[in-house]
Amino acid sequence: MIRRRTLTSAFVIAAAASLAACSSGSGGSGASDAKLQSGGNLVMARADEPTSLLPSVPTDNAAIWIIEEIYSTLTVPAQNGSGVRPSLATSWKQSADKLSWTFDLRKDAKFADGRPVTSADVKFSIEQVQKKSSPFAFIDSIITAMDTPDAHTIVFHTAKPWAPFPADMALFANSIVPDNYGGKSAQAFAQHPVGSGPFKFDSWTKGSSLKIVKNPDYWAKGTPKLDSVTFTVVPDSNTRATQLSSGQIQINEYPSNSSIQAVSKTPGLKFTSFPSSEVDYLGMNTSRKPLNDVNVRKAIRLAIDKEAILKSVYYNRATLAGGYLSPTTWAHDASIKPTAFDLAAAKAALAKSSVPNGFTTTITISSGDQDASAEAQLIQADLAKIGITLKIKSLDPASQYSTKGAGNYDMAFGLYTTDIVDPDEIARFAGTFSGGVHTVYTWFNNAQMNRLADSASSASDQAARKKDYDQMQQIINDNVPYIPLFYVPGNYSYSSKVHGFAPGATGNYFLEDVWLSK
Amino acid sequence: MLRWLVRRLLLAIPVVWGVVTISFFLMHLAPGDPARTALGDKADAASVAALRHQWGLDRSLPMQYLSYLGQLLHGNLGQSLYYHTSITSLMAQRLPVTLILIVLSAVFAVLISIPLASRTVTKPNGLAAQVVRLFNAVIQGSPTFFIGSMLILFLGVRIAIFPAGGYPDGFGHRLWALMLPALTIALSIVPLLVRGLRAAMIESYSSEYVSFARSKGLGEGKIRRRYVLRNASISGVSILGIQVGALASGALVVEQVFAIPGMGSMLMTGILNRDYALVQACTLVFGLIVVVVYLLTDLVYARLDPRARLS
Repeated sequence: MIRRRTLTSAFVIAAAASLAACSSGSGGSGASDAKLQSGGNLVMARADEPTSLLPSVPTDNAAIWIIEEIYSTLTVPAQNGSGVRPSLATSWKQSADKLSWTFDLRKDAKFADGRPVTSADVKFSIEQVQKKSSPFAFIDSIITAMDTPDAHTIVFHTAKPWAPFPADMALFANSIVPDNYGGKSAQAFAQHPVGSGPFKFDSWTKGSSLKIVKNPDYWAKGTPKLDSVTFTVVPDSNTRATQLSSGQIQINEYPSNSSIQAVSKTPGLKFTSFPSSEVDYLGMNTSRKPLNDVNVRKAIRLAIDKEAILKSVYYNRATLAGGYLSPTTWAHDASIKPTAFDLAAAKAALAKSSVPNGFTTTITISSGDQDASAEAQLIQADLAKIGITLKIKSLDPASQYSTKGAGNYDMAFGLYTTDIVDPDEIARFAGTFSGGVHTVYTWFNNAQMNRLADSASSASDQAARKKDYDQMQQIINDNVPYIPLFYVPGNYSYSSKVHGFAPGATGNYFLEDVWLSK
Repeated sequence: MLRWLVRRLLLAIPVVWGVVTISFFLMHLAPGDPARTALGDKADAASVAALRHQWGLDRSLPMQYLSYLGQLLHGNLGQSLYYHTSITSLMAQRLPVTLILIVLSAVFAVLISIPLASRTVTKPNGLAAQVVRLFNAVIQGSPTFFIGSMLILFLGVRIAIFPAGGYPDGFGHRLWALMLPALTIALSIVPLLVRGLRAAMIESYSSEYVSFARSKGLGEGKIRRRYVLRNASISGVSILGIQVGALASGALVVEQVFAIPGMGSMLMTGILNRDYALVQACTLVFGLIVVVVYLLTDLVYARLDPRARLS
């Protein structure tokens, strides 16, 4: 998941939003008593164009959120992120030796071209994700073999006992495509994708808009309600805000924080924060002096006034973070509280460190990211109070990626979200050295984290797994390789005519349940 | 004339080669890895390496440069790493949009500048001239994205005559949707054009042929159209020609603000995602546009001013 960059000034946003508020007097309030209606075209504006509609290729939300509408997966995440529900698979069970999972497929599912969905399609789909150049190969690498005893049964053999498996199958990348792409090349298929989801691909004007239409043969009868959905590409956040108030669009995918207040006051428009697994953090490179000293990192954590950042940068649209696993997962350890802002304690921690009189360090931020810039300046002022001089360096996002990847930085902001509802993926990614990018670029390496992650993923009992995850969160909290700052919800502003819109914790839109009132 | 044209075209070759080479090395020298950007930070190192190999990014830089040049000589712009499709097909969709936008904004710039410049010359201390001066100062001091946002707000939302950004279906609708963006770009060069035209007109007015025309008893309107504006347009054309670069870079920002799917938004995406081939292709095409416009400017210049020889 990639964070948006705000390119324009807050002044323009404020001016635009307040004028827009004056001009759109139409529309009623929430209209919660409106009667369920079918039909209509929903227009959603987003900042970016999807990169590819081939499930095994993209990592961008613009593509992921469309893929989830035109394809089906074996399981789907529950809206609140607590687990998975049946979808193409009606039931699944782990074998007695815990080394395989058997999924039963529903018999009434069809691709948009009329062909039934079979286990051969599932096998082919998973094989595409297992290819080395696929971004989610690491998720499906646990599968060692697949058997298709009949057209509606598939057996996955795993390298070790693997509890997160049903959640892995809900990942968008594991969407089911027709076997051998229905005889087309991957590239040709990507231009006219065929899936078994609630909507069918209709047309794509590159750079401008993509339209999906209702799939009348969708197996969940009575859905979707909408006739079609059009995703338009509107890079500028002000333009998206004005298009929403002029009625040109019904949902703004990325409202800027500063436009939210105006939207909430405008009749006919709504703003809602939905639970999301996003955690925003401040990362520290523990391979560099003096950040390798845990007392230094603790001093920094104590010296940052998170409440002030929450208020002025996030407009209070987030919550202070404690443990590194988000509250949207059952593995979240609520006993780890956000560290209170305490300058005296910060000074005391620094006094115990290798640099009692302070030092100079650098924070790298993405150029054009005004939120990050404001946040860095607040932290700069905070750290100055305990004798740490923080320099701010800005780099374009792609350069920042490589700088962090090469460990060539001191401090940087980052965020992570989970792609699956099971805590396994994110617990490893943000907790283990080998689980992705060296513990989110901090180079923190703790062998016990790997052991705990393995123990948690092989156990089937959720209570036992929770103990392992609690311990992992405690280790990160004690060693502070990074400071989880905020749990950030998914923010959307939209027309009051839109009903049933409730994106899940993993970002899924569930557009089959959405309807429009006249 | 023909010899001149051939010589100019031959001279354009090193220019274009320079654009290609500089953009190639600048892009590759910038830190950033398109494979890592495409795969996100959760993908493991083996996946990144596999994708780098698939895209040929694990070869040495000179090798990549030579194969890129070879590809270009065959008229192949390569594959976009970000859009997973051929750049030629992307260009076919995006280039016409930007070209129409540039041409429209040039037309708007001329239509706005001529009356404004004439006003300030004929009545230099009049209220209108003062207003024009103020207008120039304000416009020149405002960034394009701000002007764009304001136009959307007033003409797209408050008085909703134009769409508030976006690019609908159908030629007529599209042309209509391009009006505000073209006006925004045009405004960014109006102050320069007004000033240039004004200076040229003042010079014309003080020339002997104007005094002669007056002494013949010709009306002021006729003198302005036939002698003053015609002569001033020579400098107007060269300013406009030079400013085509500004128009193109204006398109870059304005397309973002108005959500117009042209070259500008594609170039931005390419740069942010280190889509090397795409950025190089866009730079090449923008370079070609500038080369062609300069050529056209010289041709028009020669047509307007018989003293200028194409040699």
